Amino acid sequence: MSRNAHPHAMAPSKPGRTRTAPPQLPDQFPFRGRYLAYTLFDLTGILYLLLGFLALCAVWCLGSGEAVWNGVLERHRNVFYLGFHTIALVGLIFVGIRFFGFFPKAQPPRVGPVKSPPKPVILAALYALWIGVTVFMTLVLAGGVF
Amino acid sequence: MKHPLLKLEPLIWLLFGQGILFGTVLLTPWVLVVGLAIPLGIVPADALSYERAHMLASHIIGRLILFGLIALPLWKGAHHLRHTLIDFGGGERDARVAPLLYLLATVGSVLAVVAVVRI
Repeated sequence: MSRNAHPHAMAPSKPGRTRTAPPQLPDQFPFRGRYLAYTLFDLTGILYLLLGFLALCAVWCLGSGEAVWNGVLERHRNVFYLGFHTIALVGLIFVGIRFFGFFPKAQPPRVGPVKSPPKPVILAALYALWIGVTVFMTLVLAGGVF
Repeated sequence: MKHPLLKLEPLIWLLFGQGILFGTVLLTPWVLVVGLAIPLGIVPADALSYERAHMLASHIIGRLILFGLIALPLWKGAHHLRHTLIDFGGGERDARVAPLLYLLATVGSVLAVVAVVRI
């Protein structure tokens, strides 16, 4: 059974001239069927916010001197941080696969006079960028390059 | 008069889109190495010793990458969290929640600028 959605969820700024039926939440929202991936994709926003602020903290500490930076590396050995980063990595891969999957479909057929490339080409380019940057930056951060 | 958030919608969507694309691309190796490989001992901690980390981060390209790695995911996070809250609780609170989330992303972005400049 579908249930009532919030009656003002889709309300226009001014009342329309015709009456409309109140919006209904889909049966499977939020965690069943195809809504599971939709809701999880939205919830990765929390992961990205936390990752952004953790990275900000790390970079700030790097600017504060050697002892503070070593403290960051030490803190990352904590099981809580390891658990969070494991979940974060899974979340990043999930977002990448899902976003890159629908990115080509969202492209307009033409950008000005230029025709958009075929969808498989866009998809391949996105994965090449992701894998290429990941491999290169991993090598740089791990000391393999520079 | 248009609500200020509606006027800013194209900019917010731009930052959100870049946050998903470049946030994902840049954060994957960061989490892989800084969050997992070094703490687990897979990569020696010397790889990001203070001297080496400082050398990489203080380069102009290093600073730009670090800024993108911090600021863009904040916009992706703020925008997605806003829409999660609308999905779960309706749009009534959005007028208060959305500015707060975007303010959080803005403050984080400004602090990111300061953080990369002071390295």
